[in-house]
Amino acid sequence: MMNISKVALRSRVSRVKLTSQLAGLATTPDEKIEIPKRVPRGPTDILRALESTVGRDPTAAHYKYHDDPYLIPLSNNGKRVFALSQEAGRKAAHWIRREHADLFQHREADPTIEAFVPPMVFDEKSEVAVTDLQKLIKTAQVSDAVVVYKLLKEKGAEVAPELEQGLLELVCYQNCEDGLSDEFIEEKWFKQSQKGKEKLRKTWKDGDFAEQLFMNLPNKTPEAYCAIIQGMAKYYQVDRAVQLFEEAQQNNIPLNTNTYNSLISAVNIMKESFDLRWSLVAQFLNQMKDAKLKPNLGTLNAILAALSSMGNPVGARKYALMTLSQFRELGIEPSLGSWSLVLNTFYKDRGPVSTILHDIINLVENKEHQIRDLKDVHFFVTAMETCRFYLNDVSLAKRIDRLLHHGENYNLIGDSYKESVYYRHYFALLCANLPIEEFMNDVYYKLIPHIYVPEPALMAEVLNQVDVNGAIEYVPKLWSDLVIFDHAHRENLIEMVLNSMTNNEELLTPELNEKFATVGWDIFSRFDDQDSYKVSRMKVALSGDFLGKILLLLARNKEFEKACCVMEKLDRNQQSIAGVPKVEALDKFVDLCIEEKAPSRAIACIQYCVDCGYGEANAMAVRLHKKLTLDEVFLDKLTKIVGDISLAGAKDSV
Amino acid sequence: MSLPQLKNILRAPTFYRLLSTSTACQKSQSGRYRITPRKDLPLTYEMANPPHQIAHRKTWNSINTSNLEGGLRSSETAIEDIFIRKFMTGTWHALFLSEIIIKRQHNIIRIAGIVRRSVSARKMYFLIGYTEELLSFWLQCPVKVELQTVADRRDVVFKYI
Repeated sequence: MMNISKVALRSRVSRVKLTSQLAGLATTPDEKIEIPKRVPRGPTDILRALESTVGRDPTAAHYKYHDDPYLIPLSNNGKRVFALSQEAGRKAAHWIRREHADLFQHREADPTIEAFVPPMVFDEKSEVAVTDLQKLIKTAQVSDAVVVYKLLKEKGAEVAPELEQGLLELVCYQNCEDGLSDEFIEEKWFKQSQKGKEKLRKTWKDGDFAEQLFMNLPNKTPEAYCAIIQGMAKYYQVDRAVQLFEEAQQNNIPLNTNTYNSLISAVNIMKESFDLRWSLVAQFLNQMKDAKLKPNLGTLNAILAALSSMGNPVGARKYALMTLSQFRELGIEPSLGSWSLVLNTFYKDRGPVSTILHDIINLVENKEHQIRDLKDVHFFVTAMETCRFYLNDVSLAKRIDRLLHHGENYNLIGDSYKESVYYRHYFALLCANLPIEEFMNDVYYKLIPHIYVPEPALMAEVLNQVDVNGAIEYVPKLWSDLVIFDHAHRENLIEMVLNSMTNNEELLTPELNEKFATVGWDIFSRFDDQDSYKVSRMKVALSGDFLGKILLLLARNKEFEKACCVMEKLDRNQQSIAGVPKVEALDKFVDLCIEEKAPSRAIACIQYCVDCGYGEANAMAVRLHKKLTLDEVFLDKLTKIVGDISLAGAKDSV
Repeated sequence: MSLPQLKNILRAPTFYRLLSTSTACQKSQSGRYRITPRKDLPLTYEMANPPHQIAHRKTWNSINTSNLEGGLRSSETAIEDIFIRKFMTGTWHALFLSEIIIKRQHNIIRIAGIVRRSVSARKMYFLIGYTEELLSFWLQCPVKVELQTVADRRDVVFKYI
């Protein structure tokens, strides 16, 4: 795309030159029309050019979901469940194809498309050839490759040393386990990465096929040593890795850079204190120098990773900067992963806040980044986290976000978990620092719900900001979002919604009053309806305080019937409802009863006030008596509740 | 009436069968629905329009180029389409409210239709994934399912006859 526009630009420039020269009649004979060089195009270049014109549409769900109101997910759970259900369906189809492989042997396409053919199943009786092993290693099917290799050995077939090396590298890389198939991308995307939790635990399978294969190799090549040491270091079997490393050193077996890198990344397990760890890193680096190995990006990232998890932040920072400058001299450009490790080193809980993130963003901004190291996917989430917790800088956060959406950088977001953490930090930062109108219009309406669905804590944050700023016009929208996102059963959120609706009385308009009453009634009916009560995960019943607030909202909007429902519930379940409503709500209800000329309701309410121990009951009774002419029966009742004296006083005053 | 025919008619009945080798056209019956006595047979828009309205008021249910001049695989396409329809109605049991529309473009088959919301969305996603994958294994080309859902089967009724 860029090339096309460049060409267009260039030809236009030359044309302009030409016409201007013609106009001036100052043609010089040596002026030549510059014909642009032919740009070689790949078969998919035109598709890529088209694709680059299409961005993510925030008003639509991701394209992996079906575009139908019923099938569009709106909550985090929905997104996960829908995508994984579809993948489960695909897995079921794979299972059927595997179980009934004999039915899927037809060949529609010529040449045959491998992806549609059932996979080969290998067991003890299969007829295997060396080419099978080759294919399995190429497609990284670990367990099948192991089976086939064993069969070949049993049959006494000759397996080439290169093939054995390939197999060893495969099993070492995968720790003798089958990886997740590339076919199932949703599972990869939604899999919670467990790496953080079991970071420092040995997961290497001792004595498994990888080690057996290594032991049985007739001549152990340097490549074999490299593979097994890297595998062990990767899965934290450091003792054996170091042992093999020393063995290799003694026997003068040359090892490659990546092997040293893997050992450097495992330094934190080998040694305890900062100085010991750092001297070990230095020792490995010196050994590399002696072996005349040129370090690469992996070395840089391994050193930075080791530094980021060492204690002693001051020393770590110093060494990190030294490492970076040395590698710059070597001409090795740090990847995004290196920067995220630098951020981890520089932003710790203790110590002064550094501004290195600004410098990093200056370096990486406005560029398209490719993945060069596995750690690169951590950059955006780390950068945004730093921005939120340490720098609290909106403009920087926006720059990071722009970088993320530049070109194809969004591929580096990682997985669904990292994506949602990234947006959580971004969202929280903007929520706390932007004016509420700007936040709602530019961020909330844009990102939610298709790009990001806020967690309950963040919704609480938004509600809090709305309440603080008195922007209560957003409350009905927020409540409906809470319902959609499946947060409507959380007590603290309900409380915040009710509070902001009842507290800001001076900002009310008739319209809002009506909307608030609807929201209040919605909350009430959600809890009142026993069926939905069981289905939804509502643990608690509404407290007296909540009911009072709902009553107040309904009374404000003069919805007598509904208010009566709430009042009845309060009255009937006095024992089971925790807490009592505020007296203002009851007061408002009595006024409504007077307006609606329903003395019996009012008297019931006054009775309830007395039961709750509110002194204001008398005043209510007086008001009721004043505004409505009560017959004997009602007067009697009222007298019984609040006593004679007050009534008499009221009569006098009337 | 010619003499041999008369002979045939007058002949005593024997074990004698006739075979017609041309396909039955049944132009006045196929693709049409008969009015019921109670006038309560629900028809979709597609059903309400008889075949001669194809390309006027409604379109084909299978959209492909195999029957155009120079088209490829016309018989295979027809058989595959029947297979797809049977597979869809069986897999999505009692869910489809419309005809199953099969569109072929290049090597892609897109299967469209209207389904009822009587199973949950996640089950529907399971079926989508299963259908797409299994049919693409069977037909050995990419298959896409493009659904629309309606809340009630009455939503697709155009008229009652």
